[in-house]
Amino acid sequence: CAKELQQVPLSTATTVTFYQQPSDFIQAINAVYNSLRNYPSRLMFLSEIRSDNIYPTNTVGRDPDPINNFAPGIASNTYVEEAWTADFNGIFKANVVIEQVAKNAAFVGSAALANRLTAEAKFLRAFFYFDLVRYYGKVPVIDHVVSDAEARTIKRGTVAEVYALIIADLQFAVANLPANYSGTFPSYSATDVGRATKYAAEAVLAQVYMARSGPNYGIEGPGLGLNEWNQAATLLTDIIGSGAYTFNPNFANIFSYTNQNPTTNKESVFSIMFLTGLNPVLGTDFPWQLVPNSYFSSLPTGNTPANGALGVPSVSTNLVNAYATNDARKSPTIHTTAFTFTGTTDANPFFRKYLDTTKIPASRFDWGINFIAVRYTDVLLLKAECVLNGAAGNQATDVDAVANQVRSRAGLLPIAGVTKAQLLDERRREFAAEGSRWFDLQRSGNLVTIMNAWIATEDAALKKMNQATANSVIYPVPQSQMDAAPGLYTQNPGYQ
Amino acid sequence: KVTDESGAGIPDVTVSVKGTTSKTTTAGDGSFSINATGANVSLVFEHVNFGTKTVAATGNTVTVSLSRAEKQLDEVVVVGYGTQKRGSVTGAVSTLKNENLEERAITRVDQALVGQLAGVTVKQNTGVPGKAFSIQVRGSGSISGGNEPLYVLDGFPLSVNSSNTTNGSFSTGNPLDNINPNDIESIEVLKDAAAAAIYGSRASNGVVLITTKRGKIGKMSLNFNTYAGYNQAAKKLEMMNGDQWIEHATEIINAQYLAKYGSAGATINDNQAQRLARNGGAFDANYILDPRWTMPGHPGLAFIDWQDAIERKGKMQNYEISASGGTDAVRYFVSGNYANQESFVIGVGYKAYSMRANIELNASKRLKFGLNVAPTYSITQDPGIDGKDAIFHQALSLAPVQEDTMGLYPNYGKNGQYVWSSTTNSPLGKLTTNVGTTKRYRTVASLYGELQVVKGLSFRSSVNLDNTDNISNGYTSYLTAGTLAARTFTGANNLLAATSGSYNSYRRQTFVNENTLTYSNTFATDHSLNVLVGYSYNFDRLDRVTMSSNGGFTSAVIQTLNAAAAVTGNTTSSQSVLLSAFSRLQYGFQDKYLLSASIRRDGSSRFGANSQYGVFPSLSAAWVISKEAFMKNARVFSYLKLRASYGVNGNNNLGNDYASISTIGSAGYITGTTPGAVIGQAPNVIANPDLKWEKSKTYDIGLDFGLLNNRITGSIEYYNKLNSDLLLNVPVLAVTGFASSLNNIGSVRNIGQELTLTSKNTTGKFEWSTSVNITHNKNRIVALGPGQTQIIIPNGFTVSDQILKVGEQLNSIYVLKVIGFLSAKDLASGVAKYGSGQAEGDFKFEDYNGDGVITEADKQIVGHPNPDYTYGITNTFRYKGFDLNVLVQGQTGGSIYSQLGRAITRPGQGRSDNHPASFVNRWKSPTDQGEGRFGKAYSTYNSPITAATDWLYSSDYIRVRNITLGYNLKDGLKMRFVQGARLYLTLENFFGHDKYINGLNPEAANTAVSSNSAYPESGDYGGMPLAKSFIIGLNITF
Repeated sequence: CAKELQQVPLSTATTVTFYQQPSDFIQAINAVYNSLRNYPSRLMFLSEIRSDNIYPTNTVGRDPDPINNFAPGIASNTYVEEAWTADFNGIFKANVVIEQVAKNAAFVGSAALANRLTAEAKFLRAFFYFDLVRYYGKVPVIDHVVSDAEARTIKRGTVAEVYALIIADLQFAVANLPANYSGTFPSYSATDVGRATKYAAEAVLAQVYMARSGPNYGIEGPGLGLNEWNQAATLLTDIIGSGAYTFNPNFANIFSYTNQNPTTNKESVFSIMFLTGLNPVLGTDFPWQLVPNSYFSSLPTGNTPANGALGVPSVSTNLVNAYATNDARKSPTIHTTAFTFTGTTDANPFFRKYLDTTKIPASRFDWGINFIAVRYTDVLLLKAECVLNGAAGNQATDVDAVANQVRSRAGLLPIAGVTKAQLLDERRREFAAEGSRWFDLQRSGNLVTIMNAWIATEDAALKKMNQATANSVIYPVPQSQMDAAPGLYTQNPGYQ
Repeated sequence: KVTDESGAGIPDVTVSVKGTTSKTTTAGDGSFSINATGANVSLVFEHVNFGTKTVAATGNTVTVSLSRAEKQLDEVVVVGYGTQKRGSVTGAVSTLKNENLEERAITRVDQALVGQLAGVTVKQNTGVPGKAFSIQVRGSGSISGGNEPLYVLDGFPLSVNSSNTTNGSFSTGNPLDNINPNDIESIEVLKDAAAAAIYGSRASNGVVLITTKRGKIGKMSLNFNTYAGYNQAAKKLEMMNGDQWIEHATEIINAQYLAKYGSAGATINDNQAQRLARNGGAFDANYILDPRWTMPGHPGLAFIDWQDAIERKGKMQNYEISASGGTDAVRYFVSGNYANQESFVIGVGYKAYSMRANIELNASKRLKFGLNVAPTYSITQDPGIDGKDAIFHQALSLAPVQEDTMGLYPNYGKNGQYVWSSTTNSPLGKLTTNVGTTKRYRTVASLYGELQVVKGLSFRSSVNLDNTDNISNGYTSYLTAGTLAARTFTGANNLLAATSGSYNSYRRQTFVNENTLTYSNTFATDHSLNVLVGYSYNFDRLDRVTMSSNGGFTSAVIQTLNAAAAVTGNTTSSQSVLLSAFSRLQYGFQDKYLLSASIRRDGSSRFGANSQYGVFPSLSAAWVISKEAFMKNARVFSYLKLRASYGVNGNNNLGNDYASISTIGSAGYITGTTPGAVIGQAPNVIANPDLKWEKSKTYDIGLDFGLLNNRITGSIEYYNKLNSDLLLNVPVLAVTGFASSLNNIGSVRNIGQELTLTSKNTTGKFEWSTSVNITHNKNRIVALGPGQTQIIIPNGFTVSDQILKVGEQLNSIYVLKVIGFLSAKDLASGVAKYGSGQAEGDFKFEDYNGDGVITEADKQIVGHPNPDYTYGITNTFRYKGFDLNVLVQGQTGGSIYSQLGRAITRPGQGRSDNHPASFVNRWKSPTDQGEGRFGKAYSTYNSPITAATDWLYSSDYIRVRNITLGYNLKDGLKMRFVQGARLYLTLENFFGHDKYINGLNPEAANTAVSSNSAYPESGDYGGMPLAKSFIIGLNITF
């Protein structure tokens, strides 16, 4: 009779019963990709809003404001909380896959599939960790599924320890992930488009080496002041040399709703995939996170599902002015014309890079556009940056030629002898609204100077900003985590 | 001579000489004579109303006084797994006898408990007939787990409500569903830990033992009972009438018009043409008035009182026939009942058909078999009356001014909406067109056998099955949905796309096998002993099916889902097993010193793998002081008993059969050249193999007393109950992959006092007796998660309004405090404001943290939902053939935070929705600040809506729950075959008063307010009022 006390759920699987056949493990890895879904919106809040691209001209007491104005008390901010919890949830799910594949190898079907799944899981684990280390610096290193009790014994690892796991994972991924989607099961076939490839892993690993090569600002942040530009350049060269990706001559087309699939959009080295109209929702909300709600209301068709956000901070004057008048990137990136709704005219510019008002979905959380997390143009420009920092290559072919290819697409005249500062500015115009700016500033070593110079002019009238300091380079550990196990984690300096 | 308390003789008392067969009965004046010889002769007096008393005969004349209280002490009280004499009870047990239950217009057993027992708080959450009430025994001690007691029906422990009542309803059934109150013989509530501990891990919230009627040896008695009457709303919320609404709408529209065009020179005296011109020629009801409002007689407009429009006098009727009787070999009780209650709201109603057979056979002198079986069927009609955006809320909110061409059917069928009103579809149209039917078929059956092994030792075994099949089908016609444009066929739009339907069912099964061995004996006259050991097996299963239309219907006439354009469906199942061993020892010395101890060990599949077994001990003792020699002369105290108990109980109502297990949940993604969804599956719950029952430890001290020859009897009770190991979602470190984990942590203490008093005020020809029960309960959160001092209950609508805070009552109301209205002077002096839009005549909030602005951080605790005191008073009068019974019941000290306020009294509400009539007493100017509850009408600051004390009301109420006047026809009838006949008239819930000024039912719960089911908070979003009913009935016994 006592056996009867061992009841198992009749309508849900459990961690004990679920992992039985190859498709179960594939479903398990799919769930890890699911944790990428908030990545683009997070970039809007924690990278764009934090940077000199966005200024809160007309907002009052909204959630992103303290992120924008360098307030010290942001440990409880929703976005600061979200990044930590969502990334660690992704890491947990990746660890589940790695452990279950190892434990139940007999059920996975083939060693090749087991290898692929482990490589995907390790890629994603590294991707989440790289996100974490750039936002928070030191974080706990969790390479296996941990219980509540065990979690309470694991302190924040050093940045070097975090990177060690990231690099090991990405090296495994580079060695074991398929290069493209033209194989047959258990390699990637046409139905796998969107999964991480070898080149995605190389690109992220290159970014990791570059981030480590950035200066440390005297804090325990993502920069370690190492000189790994060469390692990064080698990986980027491999991607470029593969011929798998092409430079799209039409800037606006890169973000078009009709050119978003990674198989047609050769700018996409790695995309976060979204599709509208499904139940449960698998679309996204990032295209309107920095768009005012009233803009949608002002559209002739009206705005039934209430898209856009309230109290959106606007694109900074400094960024608007950073584009030459004839820069072909300006109009697809920033909406600068005023709109009127219920008698109120709003002239504040906002990002519209991924916005298409003919594609408004039935639910505002269900926009059907992929987000390009690693863009081929970025691969080219990152390589140029490595060369400028001393990696093998030359100024004319590896730096100037690349920068001018980008400038030419934007309708701008070529320049010669491109400097690091010019490259940083070009990146700002090219990748505005793609969440790259804060990390570019981190890596440049000039984050604090650039931000404070910008504050001095942009904020001269309204005086809404605090000064940026080295501590502002990273975010505080979320308050929920400080509270859940008091004394376990120490807070980053500069935060309450 | 035998007399009663007043000295009047009692006829028909059986008098016998102990140890002999000689017997006699008393005459009309109570006198008797009997032959007895020898020393130490004892006479035994027995009477059906006065119990039994044994008296030593001294001399030739014996005068004995019997009191009804003697009978009470001898009364058999049902306790877990057995019965006890009232006088031997050591725990806190309350009893409700079926006195005039069948003469009341009630359809449920829980309804019968309202106001009857100290420590038992019964809340009527809804006015929909047939729906379950919420019952709490001695307060609530659980935050995330259940707070409802365990029900045991004729020894059969029914399934505990498995789901939390997040919105005040029991979505997968309530143990008292379909149980016919007319079949009830008595209800015992085991309140303290000692009395309840024999039910172990399910006893923490108290145990309610229900005993149904059974046959007694004797001639068959046939009873026919019927009543008929009507019911009406017990309360009406006066809303603004047409003229008041027009005045308010005019004020709002003018203010909006001025705000938009005032700077361009607009004035409120502009006529329609001028306003149109300013608005670019476009009509906009926000800026333009209806010219008919100011015309005499308002041509073309209908003024409607929507409550009157949807209400009626609902007819009620009930027929019951029962037969009972028995011989030495067979005892039986069979009954059939039909009840039909039309609600006072059109389209709402309840019908119940119930049957019962309780049969007991003596197979031999030592072997007995019994069968209880009760098949029942009920039908509830409710097209969606209660809750947010449900019909009653809409009837309150809808503008009282409509086009008279549409009348009561605005925005219904071919009618559009009145432009200045809202898009609400006619409430009456919905009630008459839409369908919400719940059909429930339930059978509770028990088969048992009892064998007397040797004298004093008996073995009993039972098998019990409770099966409920519940089917709910819903249908919403396109006629009652959307806008006129969507209902107008244009060739492109499919009208029927707006039609929807659903068909949901569940089957709940409880199977219980119990085996007990009881030894009962008295040694050397003074020592009585009762020992029980038992073992039980308990199996619960719930199977659910949900189906609903997805994409409209293909037919306008077919309401079943075969006509749905697409159907989505789902089935889920869940089950649990409970294995228990238990034992109890009761010992009494001279019926003076009483001791009882029990222990139960429960193993439950619901608990985590590491903690599947729990042990629940209890100990209680009683001392009958009045039996001591030194009390013989204490004339005042005719009876005095002191009781004390301690026990540990559990609450296994975790809300989920598998809460400890790490389950897998969906998390999909998109891949592919042709992008498509791929299934993703990952663990969605953190495993907790240590998860176990919530624990309660209760101390209880009670004093039972009888005063003035038991003319006044009663008891006083004190208890202190600490619920610990509460199920709480505790924050865990995110590195685990999760934000929270369900743990046994946190504790809540309930302390309370109870007083029960029965007094025979007058006896004799005119009898008047009064029963009073008063309960005081106070709970305090002692601890939450580690380092946690508060949990703000997340709100599904706007901003939170309840908090769980250490040191405070559960679910304390936590809002901004309104301290008046902002004056021009306040604004000039920079008083703290909420946001930037607050202006003169808006609420002035208390800046609780003194930081100069009003934010969520300025919230404070202003009340709690649980009442401090609940009480019930029953007065019974008898004179000749008449009897009158009056039950008054109420509560004080609690508060209701009205979610309905959000719908009908929110600041800046706008023109279309209606306000309560008292809204005319709003702030109108600095010199006319009205009654102080409502700020100015045109207010623009409110986004998001604040949670403030303007929606806070006292939940105090007092109700005359029941008045029954009966007349005994027997004397007038003079028909030999009629044994008894009564005519009665009952007023149920007819009079009352409450302080929920802008609401209808201070106990209403119909809407889930919390957005997290781990911290349930239900609120009133405009639930229908309770019914008051008037019935006339006849009860004949043959």
